[in-house]
Amino acid sequence: MFAGIDLGSRNVKVALMDEKERLSLHKFDTVAFYRQHGRLEDGQLVVDLAGLGLGAIELKSLVSTGYGRQTINLKDAKNIPEIKAHVTGAVYLTGLKDFTLLDLGGQDSKVVKISKGRMMDFETNDRCAASTGRYLENMAAVLDIDMEELSRHYEDPVDLTSTCAIFGETELIGKVVEGYSTAQLAAGVNYTIFKRVKPMLIKLASPTIVFTGGVAQNRALLEIIRQELDVEVIVPENPQYVGSIGCAVTALKEV
Amino acid sequence: MEKIGLTTTIPVEVIYAAGMVPVDLNNVFINHHNPQGLVEEAELAGYPRNICSWIKGMYSTVMQNDDIGTVIAVTQGDCSNTHALMETLLLAGVRVIPFAFPFDRDYDLLKLQIEKLMEALGVSWQQVKDAQKRLNKVRQRVWELDRLTWQQNKISGWDNHLYQVSCSDFNGDPELFGQQLDEYLAKVPDMPEIETQIRIGYMGVPPIMDDLYHYLEERGARVVYNETQRQFTMPFNTDDLVEQYRLYSYPYGIFYRLEDVQQQIKLRRLDGIIHYAQSFCYRQIEDMIVRQRLDVPILTLEGDKPNKLDARTRMRLDAFIEMLR
Ligand code: SF4
Repeated sequence: MFAGIDLGSRNVKVALMDEKERLSLHKFDTVAFYRQHGRLEDGQLVVDLAGLGLGAIELKSLVSTGYGRQTINLKDAKNIPEIKAHVTGAVYLTGLKDFTLLDLGGQDSKVVKISKGRMMDFETNDRCAASTGRYLENMAAVLDIDMEELSRHYEDPVDLTSTCAIFGETELIGKVVEGYSTAQLAAGVNYTIFKRVKPMLIKLASPTIVFTGGVAQNRALLEIIRQELDVEVIVPENPQYVGSIGCAVTALKEV
Repeated sequence: MEKIGLTTTIPVEVIYAAGMVPVDLNNVFINHHNPQGLVEEAELAGYPRNICSWIKGMYSTVMQNDDIGTVIAVTQGDCSNTHALMETLLLAGVRVIPFAFPFDRDYDLLKLQIEKLMEALGVSWQQVKDAQKRLNKVRQRVWELDRLTWQQNKISGWDNHLYQVSCSDFNGDPELFGQQLDEYLAKVPDMPEIETQIRIGYMGVPPIMDDLYHYLEERGARVVYNETQRQFTMPFNTDDLVEQYRLYSYPYGIFYRLEDVQQQIKLRRLDGIIHYAQSFCYRQIEDMIVRQRLDVPILTLEGDKPNKLDARTRMRLDAFIEMLR
């Protein structure tokens, strides 16, 4: 078995792959993962894989990536840069070689241009979480709807101008008071994400966008990107696992 | 000897000619045991949060060092924030001498600026030329260090940065600095090779975080060209002082600077460029032009506080190195 672990800021994603490239995917809350399954040994994180409840696995190799790798090295794992993991995963899952990757995760956004299967250029958000999953969750909570409902609306959006995730909430409440419908408000929230990533997508444009990360489950955003940029948008199955799948693929290839 | 503060590189020959000691305020700020404390001190004094940390650091540096009673402030060709820095220093009773690099690199205007500075410090052209000879002796050895950096694999990007950046004021003592330099150069043949495959060029103002070079080397990439720092060493073959500061690219427009960068990309066989931009600096806007004009991969890095690289910046550096591999 080959394992890929993506140590995200919100969730730890584990992808297990066997010789026949069959995948099984697992997700853990980051804090709980470190508390329950990890312990430090000489400054390295040792994860009790058996204790994760994934059944009996005979591990051939382990590759990890993610936010955690900056602070903690996973024992016996090969670490690869986050963007590389995502690109590898996206190329593997789509079979495409020329595209722009848009990855919107719990707290990060990344846009990567891939040409002939190679990473050419990339952009990431800086010190701001206003286009990420965390932001969407906060806004959904303000509107008192779930993520499912939030991701349904893209028509007739209210105009939200705040570029800050926290001030954005105040502005949204203001719009609620003004009497806009939930559908319009939800569409407005989805549009703010688009507005934030649009400059990055235009800078690194391709006719095809592969959209990954947890936020890729938002169908409305997908529709907005498709319409506004006139591009093809592809969301692979299980988009939030792309980084961990990239790690598992790397583990398989390098043994 | 009287100390005189500088906000960036100026014709330092004039100061040495006057028998004074130049102090590059940036260097004192960044070498302070708690540079972030200086930034906070300036904020307590009323400096806004969204202003570049270099400016705030320089302000507090002058305030803390009573022996710096005069500051030469570059009011054109560097930072527009220096205007207000100058004004707050004046308010605090510091003597300020403005210096302006003419935008269009006009020879006569530049000469006039240098002469005004000479007048303010009471020195003659002969004295300045003598000082130039004195400094050029040291500069030539720093050029040698730079040459060795890109032609051999022994000198780290940090050492290259450090010796070159010090040429704005020669640490206040050119001969002593030259001696330290010679000691360093004597050790180079015995230094171990730095094993990296990727050759990086660094452009923009010197980084506010000091672990960048080391981090890159740890990951298999090495800075073999420091654009601004190299400019501080006046790497031009001319005896004409005015021409020397006219060839000096940093205070002039981006297009002129890019000519130098383009030449060095070829000469030093660079795989990629890191364009450093300080948070809240107008030079961030120029990144657009840099990206359009240079045809090597570029990573734009933004630095804010004097500190270590943050996790996000490290992630970006990792990805960039991976991309160049
Ligand atoms: S980095 Fe930019 S804003 Fe800061 S002092 Fe230099 S020129 Fe001014």
